[in-house]
Amino acid sequence: MNSSTSTKENKAKFLVYTIEECPVDGTKTKRAFQVGDYVTKEGGKCTKCGNATKITLIYGEAPPKN
Amino acid sequence: MSLLSGQALQLVDVNSLVNVVWLASIFVFFIYGQRLQMYLIANDISRALGRLKIMRDRSRKEAIDYFTSSGKVVGDPTQRIDEFLDYVTIMPVDMDPNGIVGKLQHITNTRDERVRAEVSQMIPNVDPTKVSVAENILEIATSLNQIHKIVRHYYLLGKKTNSYMLLFQLQMIMPMVLQEADALVNAVDTFKLGQPVGDGIGPVIASRYMQNLPKQVVGKDTVMTVGEYKGRTLYVLKAEGPMGYVGEPGVAIQKLVEEMKVPLDAIIMVDAALKLEGEKTGEIAEGVGAAIGGIGVDKFKIEEVSSTHKVPVYAILVKQSILEAITVMRKEIAEASDKVQTLINRVIEEKTKEGDKVLLAGIGNTLGVAQ
Repeated sequence: MNSSTSTKENKAKFLVYTIEECPVDGTKTKRAFQVGDYVTKEGGKCTKCGNATKITLIYGEAPPKN
Repeated sequence: MSLLSGQALQLVDVNSLVNVVWLASIFVFFIYGQRLQMYLIANDISRALGRLKIMRDRSRKEAIDYFTSSGKVVGDPTQRIDEFLDYVTIMPVDMDPNGIVGKLQHITNTRDERVRAEVSQMIPNVDPTKVSVAENILEIATSLNQIHKIVRHYYLLGKKTNSYMLLFQLQMIMPMVLQEADALVNAVDTFKLGQPVGDGIGPVIASRYMQNLPKQVVGKDTVMTVGEYKGRTLYVLKAEGPMGYVGEPGVAIQKLVEEMKVPLDAIIMVDAALKLEGEKTGEIAEGVGAAIGGIGVDKFKIEEVSSTHKVPVYAILVKQSILEAITVMRKEIAEASDKVQTLINRVIEEKTKEGDKVLLAGIGNTLGVAQ
């Protein structure tokens, strides 16, 4: 047993994304997270209908390999 | 002939020598084996202790940097933060457990208020989210300091008393201790940036039912809305975001039922749950009972209210590891939110009827999740 062994999941650095959703037509836009973003905050304009979007999710995912 | 006998003699000598060494080594290992093993174990713990020290120092530095970079810090925060690292909460005596929950609640409330007041004093006039983040970072630094101190205590005690069993047990739990410490140190970056953590999945789902509805405060850092879902009155509560708080869902539910006299027909609780090894992150489990962690005060209050008033409590859990619960929310957890929402709607429709009053509680740290 070697207690100095670290777990694999600690080594992955995550890319954090913000999902903006249009309440009118449901269009979802994925962009990089910016400091100050939070869920339910008003986002940018919808790319399809131009309405104001809302942030519905913020999550991190592992960067693609290579 | 003499040459042959000389060779035979040499062979006998070499064989005897090997036998002597072999027997001697068995004898040495028999007598000193445990001591040698203890030396190796102590070395291993010492390396792990070195890693814990690095983590403790890093979290301390991160806390000092966060206070300093807020731009509104009063004086040098180093000494005050160092004092905080040794801040202790003395748990109430449990020889007579009657009424212990009230004492626990009083002690934890006093601690939380003290920490918040101190932080607000150190960085006055900053927005509440930053104050909550500073509180969380201080708590992480304090936890790492405690972990390092306790491991060091048992390591030194084991060496001092030559206690093989003490060191052996410490070495056995070290991988889990390091895993928790790693999770804590990784959480600092997430908190500094104000990103939602895996534990925030309950508040994320609750916030979807709270959109465009007036909010009322129903407990410390806890907000509630009253809406409608398919003919049922839907009460939704969560901690007040986007600050990094968990609120007081137990107090809020008690207040709703006993003070506001709302005759609830069902309580649905959504929370993150620690997954077992082999389970997938983002898996959903459904069940009954109060889905809430922590010291037990809120769980006790919810169980007390629900059993007294015969309100069924339904639980929906999203599985994740300890690391995933306190660092940025993983995609798998976030993607489970739509399935959980469908499940909540199904539970409401199947377990209640039109005209009923249903409470939905999103449990967890609500950092980066408003309402």
